[in-house]
Amino acid sequence: MSARIWGIGELVREVNAALAGSFPEVLVRGELSGVKVAASGHRYFSVKDGEGQLSCAMWAARADRLRFKLTDGLAVVLRGTLEVYAQRGSLQLIVTEVVPEGVGELQLAFEQLKAKLQAEGLFAAERKRPLPALPQRLGLVTSPSGAAVRDVLKVLSRWEHLSVLLAPVRVQGKGAEGEIARAVRTLSRSGRVDVVLVVRGGGSLEDLWAFNEEVVARAIAACQVPVISGVGHEVDFTIADFAADIRAATPTQAAEIVVARLEEQQRRVETAAETARTRIRRRLDRSGLRVAAAVGARGLAQLPGRLRTLAEQLRRLEALPDRLRAVVVGRHRRLDAGATGLLHWPVRFGAPRRREVVTARLAVASERLRSLVRARGLTLAGTERALGALSPLGVLERGYSITTREGSEAAIRDAATVHSGERLVTRLARGELRSLVLGRDSGAQASLFEEGGPGSGVRGPAHQPGVTEPGSRSPEPGGGGRGQ
Amino acid sequence: MSKESFEEALAQLEDVVARLEDESVGLEEALKLFERGVKLARRCRTQLAGVERRVEQLLAEAPEGDELATAPFEPEEG
Repeated sequence: MSARIWGIGELVREVNAALAGSFPEVLVRGELSGVKVAASGHRYFSVKDGEGQLSCAMWAARADRLRFKLTDGLAVVLRGTLEVYAQRGSLQLIVTEVVPEGVGELQLAFEQLKAKLQAEGLFAAERKRPLPALPQRLGLVTSPSGAAVRDVLKVLSRWEHLSVLLAPVRVQGKGAEGEIARAVRTLSRSGRVDVVLVVRGGGSLEDLWAFNEEVVARAIAACQVPVISGVGHEVDFTIADFAADIRAATPTQAAEIVVARLEEQQRRVETAAETARTRIRRRLDRSGLRVAAAVGARGLAQLPGRLRTLAEQLRRLEALPDRLRAVVVGRHRRLDAGATGLLHWPVRFGAPRRREVVTARLAVASERLRSLVRARGLTLAGTERALGALSPLGVLERGYSITTREGSEAAIRDAATVHSGERLVTRLARGELRSLVLGRDSGAQASLFEEGGPGSGVRGPAHQPGVTEPGSRSPEPGGGGRGQ
Repeated sequence: MSKESFEEALAQLEDVVARLEDESVGLEEALKLFERGVKLARRCRTQLAGVERRVEQLLAEAPEGDELATAPFEPEEG
């Protein structure tokens, strides 16, 4: 039997045929090493275990379909066919499938992409943009027919003043990631939205896969306005979530974030406005008596006509149902009840538009009031200090009194102007005394007290220094209440 | 009006509120502050209501730079 002499090519072809017969397809477990991507896109690597190694080739057409990346050290099971590569005379495995060991391939792909983008800084906290102050124009990237779009629009309907521009896309299946990325870019450059919501309802990892694709992550990161992602359920984290500026747990929550911001801004405005009204009202209440004393020293009758009219108008505005009782009760006590009450009224009782009208009128009214006060040569700021000491009620409360002739408003300051037998009225903090002058001299002269009584109370008493030093802090019959 | 001016107006409004609490501010000044606050609040409200309710969808991918075609959108009942 003579030995057959082979040509190399011929021999290799025969060996390959024999291999194919004995090993039509093999599964090999091992770890990848020396992974290289050739210019052609084909992948070349070795797979090895404790006992040996095997050269592998995976053609680009197959390798490009892998969702994860082949990396050194990756534990895998390879499927393929064995062949001898004639040019090198070496045995190699032509790989058709790579299955990662110990972890799902989607999970592996997810982790790989996440690590890659993270290393690039795409998820960095300092890249995250805050939600705009007024996210009123929304771009929405989702399926036009899913539950997500209904959920989002339902929440958004809570806020009257916002617009939604929906970019309809498929959210799963082949090519969905491209549609989503394109939609984000379109909305981004449209200039018509303040924020973009990228949402999808719940599903399996496979269903949500489009949101784990690099193109989507990059489109989100490059978006010119902040992006809120809301994909799947609370437990689902996607690459899109990491790339987004704000991650919402669900589509509904993504919409909530927007509406909550708008509601919060409204609340801030109304709280500030309310606080401003409360504070200015308190200021006016506190200085109200002083103002009354300054402008109404000799009673309303002596005020300029316009101021009287204004005070009257303010009082009438005040006399609205809810305030009516308070006004009736307070009218005699508080000259400025109208002014202060009115400032407060629009807040609580006005319909928004009416409230605005009244607020505007108020601003005008208070300006007029102030200019009238100024016209009388009494600047509020300037007189405040002096008025502090002159607050009539306070003075009377401390035991001072005011004495006038019966039927007159003018305070008596000089005993020499009073004659025996004249009837005087002395106002105390509570009540009035009517007295008959028995005589006068340089010293104090006791008056005859005819009667005392609760009277009508103190009503806008004189602010001029018609008040006198009291004889005692608690005037007693026959002892105090002296005039001058 | 821009978003910045909303934030600006709101910040100023809150500043007015803080100053109204300041006892060293005279009454006249306080009244001026209050009027300013009323105006600022109105500006904020105007902006909060500055967008009309509208739900639209993009009809087709428009080439870059072109005006986008849109149509009203109503979600299907489900």
